[in-house]
Amino acid sequence: MWAITTVELKKQLQDKGIWFWTFILPIIFIVGFIAIFSGMNEMEPEQLVTQIVPGYIIMFSFFIMISMVVTFLKARDSGMVARVASTPLPLERFLIGKWLPFFIIVILQIVVLLLFGVIVYDLPLGDPVALTVISFMLAFLSTSWGMAMSLLVKTENMGIALTQVIALGGAVLGGLWMPLEIMPNTMQLIAKFLPQYWALEGFQTILQDDGHVIDIGLSLLILLGFSLVGCVISFVSYPHFLRQSRS
Amino acid sequence: MIDAQSVSKSYGSVQALNNLQFQIDAGSCFGLVGPNGAGKSTFIKILVGILQKFDGDIQVFNKSVKQRRLAVKNFIGYVPQDICLEEFLTAKGNLIYFGKLYGLSGEHLRKRIHTVLDQIGLTDKANQKVTEFSGGMKRSLNIGCAILHQPSLVVLDEPTVGIDPQSRHAIFNLIQQLKEKGSTVIYSSHYMEEVEQICNSVGFIDKGKLVEHGSMQHVLNKHRNASIFISADGISKEELSVYGETIEQKNGFTVNCDDPLLTMGKMVEQFWQNGINPERLELSHTRLEDIFFYLTGTQLRDNG
Repeated sequence: MWAITTVELKKQLQDKGIWFWTFILPIIFIVGFIAIFSGMNEMEPEQLVTQIVPGYIIMFSFFIMISMVVTFLKARDSGMVARVASTPLPLERFLIGKWLPFFIIVILQIVVLLLFGVIVYDLPLGDPVALTVISFMLAFLSTSWGMAMSLLVKTENMGIALTQVIALGGAVLGGLWMPLEIMPNTMQLIAKFLPQYWALEGFQTILQDDGHVIDIGLSLLILLGFSLVGCVISFVSYPHFLRQSRS
Repeated sequence: MIDAQSVSKSYGSVQALNNLQFQIDAGSCFGLVGPNGAGKSTFIKILVGILQKFDGDIQVFNKSVKQRRLAVKNFIGYVPQDICLEEFLTAKGNLIYFGKLYGLSGEHLRKRIHTVLDQIGLTDKANQKVTEFSGGMKRSLNIGCAILHQPSLVVLDEPTVGIDPQSRHAIFNLIQQLKEKGSTVIYSSHYMEEVEQICNSVGFIDKGKLVEHGSMQHVLNKHRNASIFISADGISKEELSVYGETIEQKNGFTVNCDDPLLTMGKMVEQFWQNGINPERLELSHTRLEDIFFYLTGTQLRDNG
């Protein structure tokens, strides 16, 4: 399993695309949107920063799904999936080995973007334990969904399109772009069915209200639930994915 | 011994394998041949554990691939038709990667890598990235990654596709070494002359069924259909028909007969008496390819 993780991580870190989606584009968005909204008087500067920085961290954490889809489909179409399936490596270790590098990258992404927020915008970090737990849960969520989608979709284009629907649709409906309070009641209700909303709730409880793990318990549980759905879909879809693999 | 016991597999309404039943002796080199879509790849995928849902069973050295899948995988080295290497790694990096997947580590892995690099002739290219390798070198490394854990059964699926004669020769030598060390080899190929050259037993699959199998000699003898090729001025098909079924070729005639040596003697006598001086008079042997066409026909098949 570690062999797969190490090789995959090295491969991903050599990919310039992942650096762009994971670090550069989110920073551009954070800087741009804070500049746009800071000209308006509706939000306090701290409220603005604690809305936009975690909001874009959550939204861009879902973009890892693109890299995951590309990686899994490449492995499927090159025959590598079938080749590894012929070794004595158990299925769960293969999936964990493939998943772990992306989980690490999302954790790195969250750390870098939070540090950027602290250095440039004086973002308050709150309880470090709670922040670590919610960050891990967010990374688990986006990568477990990424893995599920990678094993389900037939083509890269389908994966990229679905990622955009999940990342951008979830951002709009989950209140990542603007506070939900200024949205209609129906939108506020829909948001509660989305993991993005609960992730933002968790981050804001820590960053704005100085909340602890106990205060974000509901958010964590819901994120865990959504993540486990991703894991279950992955395990169920794997045999079909393997059958489609070139060999 | 590898024992295929009533192996059947369907993809929807398509029967890919239909009650396949045969044995492969331990230490033998078994050629698996058949047209595209015949079921060879399906059988190999089941054997190496890629396809898990099928009817029947395969015993690999007395272990069921259904019940002891992971244990069986330890016995098998699978060389897929596609080159499955991590291109951004070096040759050594790939061997480390696959070695670890087979559970090798530490000094044992280092020693095995050293030995395998020597076997596949890539010792001096060990630290070179795979992207810089020729097709033949990649194919050799593809095999190297599969034999690192010293499997008792090596399954090679079209290992010589698209490579030059030198690389093919090197791969044959490698297979010869495996045979000498007592490994059982299953060699799937479309190249009949390769199968005839390196395998000592053969199985023909067509439309999911095993249509012929046995030792190479047995199969060649069973389908022996010797013929004589004649190219000469002043000889007609009618004259030759007395010796057996005569087929007109581009530059001569082929005469199929039961006793080609005796027939050839009679022909020479007749040619001598009639003053005919043949340009070519040759005895043709049955080749595996002839048997392949005889058993599977010459119609084009779909890929898959």
